[in-house]
Amino acid sequence: MTRACALLASLALIVPVAAGAHQLNVFASVDCEAVTVEAKFSNGKFASEGEVRVLDGENALLTTFPLEADGTRRIPLDSVDHSGGLVIEVDTGSHDDYWIVTPEDIARNCGS
Amino acid sequence: MKQSILVAPLALLIAAAPAAAHYGMIIPNDPMIAQEDGRSVSLTMSFSHPFEMDGMMLDRPVAFSVTHEGATTDLLGSLQDATVMDEQGFTLDYPLDRPGTYVFAMEPQPYWEPAEDAFIIHYTKTYVTAYGDDEGWDTELGLKTEIVPLSKPFGLWEHNVFQGIVKMDGAPVPYAEVEVEFFNDGAGATAPDELMITQTVKADADGVFTYAPPAHGWWGFAALNTADYTLPQDGVDKAVELGAVIWVHFEEWTGQ
Repeated sequence: MTRACALLASLALIVPVAAGAHQLNVFASVDCEAVTVEAKFSNGKFASEGEVRVLDGENALLTTFPLEADGTRRIPLDSVDHSGGLVIEVDTGSHDDYWIVTPEDIARNCGS
Repeated sequence: MKQSILVAPLALLIAAAPAAAHYGMIIPNDPMIAQEDGRSVSLTMSFSHPFEMDGMMLDRPVAFSVTHEGATTDLLGSLQDATVMDEQGFTLDYPLDRPGTYVFAMEPQPYWEPAEDAFIIHYTKTYVTAYGDDEGWDTELGLKTEIVPLSKPFGLWEHNVFQGIVKMDGAPVPYAEVEVEFFNDGAGATAPDELMITQTVKADADGVFTYAPPAHGWWGFAALNTADYTLPQDGVDKAVELGAVIWVHFEEWTGQ
């Protein structure tokens, strides 16, 4: 089992999955510089406020950021230890969701 | 006895005639890709009688594309040759870089069907959603002929209805005939009568049709109309059957 698979499998058991009307969907893209977080409701509207929690591959909290008003947040890669992947959680107070950035995601999108 | 002699060969002829419909097929490994499933979707393209798992030759299509967030990308050059149901088909692994609905569409080469004395062109499409975001599920591609979904074309329970509008050149086709067939891959479904291999429903005056499948799995909907043009076969102009095909997966109900 790859580290990415192990990370996904373990986190699937830990992290609660939000569901229901106006479900929050969190997505994070990554390049060599930063992780860009996007939080959007299922009706297409971006979340205008919320807390972004950044956890490492062992599910330990690294740092938190406020969500920008446009539903995004840019997290510089050099500000966090991303060697084991990252878990990006967004909590708007009434909804939450997460996205897992695997080491393979970083390597693939960074061209290495 | 004269009557019996006549009936026997006729019965043989009828039994040998194809009862199933032709379907262009685009079948993904999963119509709803979650982040835990990876970062790509695997597609299998074929031409077949799907209930009977009877494959036919699918030549390299005229067009194959994906539409996502309003942008259409040509993927024709990325298709990989494959054998599907013992015949020529294609596969494609496509990376899903962002959330949303990806609409894969194929325009095959005209298929000459001697038994129907006509060409068949099935404009085929399948909708795949990525990472929990269904935006774009009702995308209309503007194909020559197309079924535009009114029900989300994924995330349906078995026995839910699927509704769509049959369109030709962008306009609804009143009372269009829509053939419905199950992709009998590993399901072992049998039909008590040939009429139940391919079922048929008609659209209403606005081109809207409705169908509820009896079981989970992939179901193909093909709205068939005759083109307003012909194609030559051995120097003779022949009719062209235009099919608007959409494949929809219904999920197994998990309750008691």
